[in-house]
Amino acid sequence: MIRFILRRLLSTALVLLVVTFVLYLLLNVALDFFWDLRASTSPNIAALYESRTRLLDLDTPAVVRYFKWLAGVGGCVVGQCDLGIAWKSGQEVTDQLQGAIVNTIKLITASTIVAIILGIAVGMISAIRQYSGFDYFITFVSFLLYSLPVFWVAVLLKQYGAIEINNFINDPTLSSWVPIILVCLAMGLFWMGALGGGAKRRLITFSAASIITFATIYYILASGWLQQPSIGIVGIIVIGAGAAVVMTFLSTGLKNKRVLYATLSIAVIGALLYMPLQYLFYYVEMNWLWMFGLLIVAIGVAVAVGLAFRGPDPWDTVRTTSFTAIIIAFLIFADRVLQGWTEYSNDPAINNRPIATIGASAPNMDGDFWLTNLDSFTHLLLPSIALILISFASYTRYTRGSMLEVMGQDYIRTARAKGLNERTVIMRHALRNALLPLASIIPVDIITMIGGAVITETIFGWNGMGKLFIDSMRQSELDPIMAYILITGLLAIIANLVADFLYAVLDPRIRVNA
Amino acid sequence: MSTNYDNQNSADLDEVGDNAIEAKETEGLSQGRIVFQKFLRHKGAMISIGVLAIVALFAFTALGVGAIPGWWQFTHTASGPVVNPGGAPTWSLSNIFSPGQHPFGQDEIGRDNFARVMKGTQISLVVMVIIGAVCLVIGTVVGALAGYYRGWIDSVLMRITDAFVILPVIVVGSILGVLVGGASGPMLGLALGAILWVGLARLVRGDFLSLREREFVDSARVAGASDFRIMFKHMLPNAMGVIIVNTTLIMSQAIVLEASLSYLGFGIQPPGISLGQLISEYQTSFATRPWLFWWPGLFIIVIALCVNFIGDGLRDAFDPRMKTIPSWRKMKKAERMAQKGAKR
Amino acid sequence: MTAQSESQTPVEKGTPILDVNDLGVSFWVSDEWWTAAEGLNYTVNAGEVLAIVGESGSGKSQSSMSLLGLLPSNGRATGSAKLNGTELIGMPQERMQRIRGNEISVIFQEPMTALNPVYTAGYQIVETLRVHLDIGPTEAKERALELMRLVEMPDPEDRFHSFPHQLSGGQRQRIMIAQALACQPKLLIADEPTTALDVTVQAEILKLMRELKSKLDAGIILITHDMGVVADMADRIIVMRAGRVVEAGSADEIFYAPQHPYTKQLLEAVPHLGAGADGAVFGSNLDAVESISSAHREEEEIDPHIDGSRDSLDSTHAGSATVVEGGGSRTDDLDTESREIAERGKVDHQIEMDSTETYYHPGSQADFSQPSALQLRDAAIEYPAIGRKKAFRAAHHINLMVSPGEVVGLVGESGSGKTTIGRAALGLLPTVEGDMVVNGKSIKGLSNKQMRPLRKEVGIVFQDPGSSLNPRLPVGESIGEPLYLHEGMKGPALSKRVEDLLSAVELPTSMRNRYPHELSGGQRQRIGIARALTLRPKLLIADEPTSALDVSVQAKVLDLFEGLQKEYGFACLFISHDLAVIERIASRIAVMRHGYLVEIGKSSQVVANPVHPYTQRLLSAVPVPDPKEQRKRREARDAVLEATANA
Repeated sequence: MIRFILRRLLSTALVLLVVTFVLYLLLNVALDFFWDLRASTSPNIAALYESRTRLLDLDTPAVVRYFKWLAGVGGCVVGQCDLGIAWKSGQEVTDQLQGAIVNTIKLITASTIVAIILGIAVGMISAIRQYSGFDYFITFVSFLLYSLPVFWVAVLLKQYGAIEINNFINDPTLSSWVPIILVCLAMGLFWMGALGGGAKRRLITFSAASIITFATIYYILASGWLQQPSIGIVGIIVIGAGAAVVMTFLSTGLKNKRVLYATLSIAVIGALLYMPLQYLFYYVEMNWLWMFGLLIVAIGVAVAVGLAFRGPDPWDTVRTTSFTAIIIAFLIFADRVLQGWTEYSNDPAINNRPIATIGASAPNMDGDFWLTNLDSFTHLLLPSIALILISFASYTRYTRGSMLEVMGQDYIRTARAKGLNERTVIMRHALRNALLPLASIIPVDIITMIGGAVITETIFGWNGMGKLFIDSMRQSELDPIMAYILITGLLAIIANLVADFLYAVLDPRIRVNA
Repeated sequence: MSTNYDNQNSADLDEVGDNAIEAKETEGLSQGRIVFQKFLRHKGAMISIGVLAIVALFAFTALGVGAIPGWWQFTHTASGPVVNPGGAPTWSLSNIFSPGQHPFGQDEIGRDNFARVMKGTQISLVVMVIIGAVCLVIGTVVGALAGYYRGWIDSVLMRITDAFVILPVIVVGSILGVLVGGASGPMLGLALGAILWVGLARLVRGDFLSLREREFVDSARVAGASDFRIMFKHMLPNAMGVIIVNTTLIMSQAIVLEASLSYLGFGIQPPGISLGQLISEYQTSFATRPWLFWWPGLFIIVIALCVNFIGDGLRDAFDPRMKTIPSWRKMKKAERMAQKGAKR
Repeated sequence: MTAQSESQTPVEKGTPILDVNDLGVSFWVSDEWWTAAEGLNYTVNAGEVLAIVGESGSGKSQSSMSLLGLLPSNGRATGSAKLNGTELIGMPQERMQRIRGNEISVIFQEPMTALNPVYTAGYQIVETLRVHLDIGPTEAKERALELMRLVEMPDPEDRFHSFPHQLSGGQRQRIMIAQALACQPKLLIADEPTTALDVTVQAEILKLMRELKSKLDAGIILITHDMGVVADMADRIIVMRAGRVVEAGSADEIFYAPQHPYTKQLLEAVPHLGAGADGAVFGSNLDAVESISSAHREEEEIDPHIDGSRDSLDSTHAGSATVVEGGGSRTDDLDTESREIAERGKVDHQIEMDSTETYYHPGSQADFSQPSALQLRDAAIEYPAIGRKKAFRAAHHINLMVSPGEVVGLVGESGSGKTTIGRAALGLLPTVEGDMVVNGKSIKGLSNKQMRPLRKEVGIVFQDPGSSLNPRLPVGESIGEPLYLHEGMKGPALSKRVEDLLSAVELPTSMRNRYPHELSGGQRQRIGIARALTLRPKLLIADEPTSALDVSVQAKVLDLFEGLQKEYGFACLFISHDLAVIERIASRIAVMRHGYLVEIGKSSQVVANPVHPYTQRLLSAVPVPDPKEQRKRREARDAVLEATANA
């Protein structure tokens, strides 16, 4: 296994080397290093040309320059990176990269995780309800998403996801209830299709989903939640208990009372800790290390509770309580972040237009840990949605296909013949096997994401790698482009490596044999 | 019970095979006809073909091709007097049957948006088809050779595939786009085709790798067929499913890719025109003249969606595991009828 | 949980457990209901094996799956099936789940795919236990280990943590059985439990199932197409054809006094091992076998390491055109044999199971000076290396000769390398050592192009008639291809020849325009034979030509084959895993094991007096379609299995 991975690593690294070489030569032909001088009428034009040639060392053959560049890259191994300079702005490429890499990774990680979770869930349900109205609907939506150009969606998102919503937050008057009722009915239909069942159950699901949606929207509008969004202790109790029930259902089934009580206890503990935590957040300046520590504590508590409840399978209990605890911890975090909403909105830098359309953070904005986070979340929102829309479709289609394949396998029939219920058959026997091939498309998808990020970053002015690439292309700056190629290549290789490991962990046929 | 059984009939026993259900479905049809019939049953694909045909028909006849003039009164370059305030469309839902002079509106200098969108569609379709054709040819040939002979050609193909696993297509596409220098549609199509074939080649290779293990290939070899004959007479027809389906899917990717590149300014550049380029040109006027943004976008989506659905229909048609979708409603109805019949 | 408490109450032997009344299964196909089975009536009693026999498409599997509500989504069941008075047909899903695996459990056909690859064998048994019984993981594990011991799993503690891919086919099927027995079901449905297994493994599983049957009081429904298995296991039999029961009765009634013509035909069609043997088939009675097995045991006690040294033997083989290896014609003639071996300076008295030497019955030595259709001279054959995958040597030191016009059977289990030899003889795999002479010309190291003229004289019939015909070509074109390629024949002349060939294989000439998928398995295989004979080859390689076919079809194809062989007079290497088929068709039999040729002799010699323990094992494992004879053979089989267990 290790040997296999090492060999793959080596071969992709070699490929990366060849790719950079070829692209370096291509770029030398493609880029016009004198574009800004072409229209110049300056009297010393010849001198300008000459100084540009000297600056970029254009008299040296491109092949030689490539190896000079490569030598600079090689310096990174010993900590002396020299990736060249962006000649137009005169900045060192290494300086340009620093913020850009972090920003891009932030954007891509957030979107990938959400897309994977949503895509798998929806794809799985779509497969289980094959040939139902729900399935056709999801198929249509995923094809639609495939067909949407990102840049077009991004412009729409800016308009309707930010500008209009900001307007609405400032002036919350509703012109008509019709769209809201339509949305409620649509939600009803969606859940009806997703949960399925007999005519009676469908009717119940439909009405329940419609009414709950309507109640939620009504509450949001009536209470002015949009102006003052928060979760609060009530929200934490309600959502926490919901999470406990859902997690138990997915992991062991509601029949397992012991696990249900364990997860519910976690919800109660979360609610009890809410107030003390508020004091902690108030008196102690927080940072990510603290957050990480608190998450560990939460998981620790969950493990303890799980083991205390034990049951015949303590580890099943622990798994379920841990997931519940993570959800509740996240809720408390989100609650605290949202508490800064008013302060944030009223900040002169924001000027009551909280959903950002441009950049990775608001300029002239300084606040504590919570406020800066809120700021970066509002900025992340739109570009993430744009990216999620692209890869959500492919995960859905892939999960659906793979799930259908697995559901037709003999061992699924065996599992049914054993007397397992459908939940166990699907969650334990089908899903696990259906996820295996998915591990191999994640790296491909991450590359698509990075590609998509090129466009999203450009449109949303997100200072990441993609924007750097496009800007440099427009300015004919060779070195930053090469740096982009190098770094995305490395990121992709790492993603591949992770996927390989993932695959090995999931599939005993690989793990055990190697 | 079969009482009138005699040995003369015994050959008929063979007919009751494992594939009785399958045989029933495919009675008297050639493989190609089965695929075709399955395809015809795919509603999404059928509608898509219709829509795509209409779009293409409009795009090519409205403005004409080359020297042949079209029937539309404006061209995409000529500016004229602004009819509605701000150049708003003369065609709306309220008077749907009278499109007026500028059904899609006009831009700020009075150019007819319908003409521009049709011209853009024309170019985008041409680029798409060229990309598809280039991929089809290179992908099939390279994939077939790699899968059949394995060896070095296979290694090289796999390394090239690796290259596209570490670099986004749009990055390489941008560089090639700049290289061909905002040239005409066909040039861009060739350049993009030169990178998009890799995916197809990999799939064809996979198909050939498994086909070459099939016994009919051995059987052809034993019959004395040459490598060339085995590859193209025996294996290729069996790989047609993979090839056709994936070429279609590449084409749907291609149209979005072309639009994206043109949007970024590395594809078709003004005065050249394409759907992506139109959006790029008009994105700033979204707030003031939204029709300039909506129409080209809509056409990209419609084309890509249609091609996707056609690809899906083809995939279902070629997939031997795909059985005819049992319609629940019909099934239940028949069951009820049967029960009624039993009661009577 | 009432269902559970019920399952614990002991059921007396002989009381009816399952009562099936007018059961029917139909599928929704092309907008109408297509009947897969109808009008089924039977009862299953406790402690009794009811065999449902039928060929593919007879609806035997589907009707049994409908008992558990496991039909595909477009299927439906009608009629009634009562398990101890509880109606199963139309039972709601939740209640059915309590019955599945608990009161009715299933053993599926393909142990390869019927176990979930990502969970350990032990986990999958434990899972069944814990779904139905309220027990903790430790107790469940104990029970699972107990079950694994019950099904005679070697090293149950180790195997508990093994994943399915780490187990052999037989072991997987044992896990499957353990899982099915976990909750002491009242009814066990065994759906072709041994079909996917090699014959010796099948024998072990059958032995196990018989033992279990006497230990447990469950009623068993055995679904199979193999009359030998039926004869071995069944108390009562139902014969099905095209969805209907054609005959039902006790095992003796069906086997010795069949009423329905279909049953008769089915029984006649089954090739019967020993039909052409001089004496009794090996393994027909216990005494003959016991002498051998006791000899084995003694042998092991005296010297556990008597494996002959391969290398010294190689040197004697290499280069010599004529290989003569003596050997007694009777295994119990130990004296002669040991004397001979002693003369060669060896300690070998008795051939060991792992011996890789070839035993030649008198008259079967390969005399390479004679004219021949096929000669393998100390040949070794490899699957060439692909990328990083190393080359795999699938056959070693093979000395084999097929005379012109002779049919030699090559028998062995999966992975024995028998197919390898066939493919190498056609030049599809390289011969890396020794020599391969086809119709007098060596084909070693020839390229595809150089092979082409030689291919005119060789034909092949493949195992799977479905995959050996190009699905995109009309069958007429497939048949005519060799003529077109070698003789440049075209147009009407070609059509004429194709039509002649079609009539030669007893197919209507109108079939030439059909595509392979429109033909039944038997028809496809006829086409395959026609194609192989197009150029009137001198040598035909038949690679398991009938193993994908139903017995009645197989019988007809074999008849046809024999007729054609007489008419055309080609030599044939007939490869099969089925000894009964081989015995019928071949004049000599060669036995392969793990890539070595272990025994070769006249059919009657090999069948009646096998020398290599592997051959003995193979022969005794074959169930014969005759309950009385099989009863005798069973004892012999169990003894041989015992004696050669550590194979």
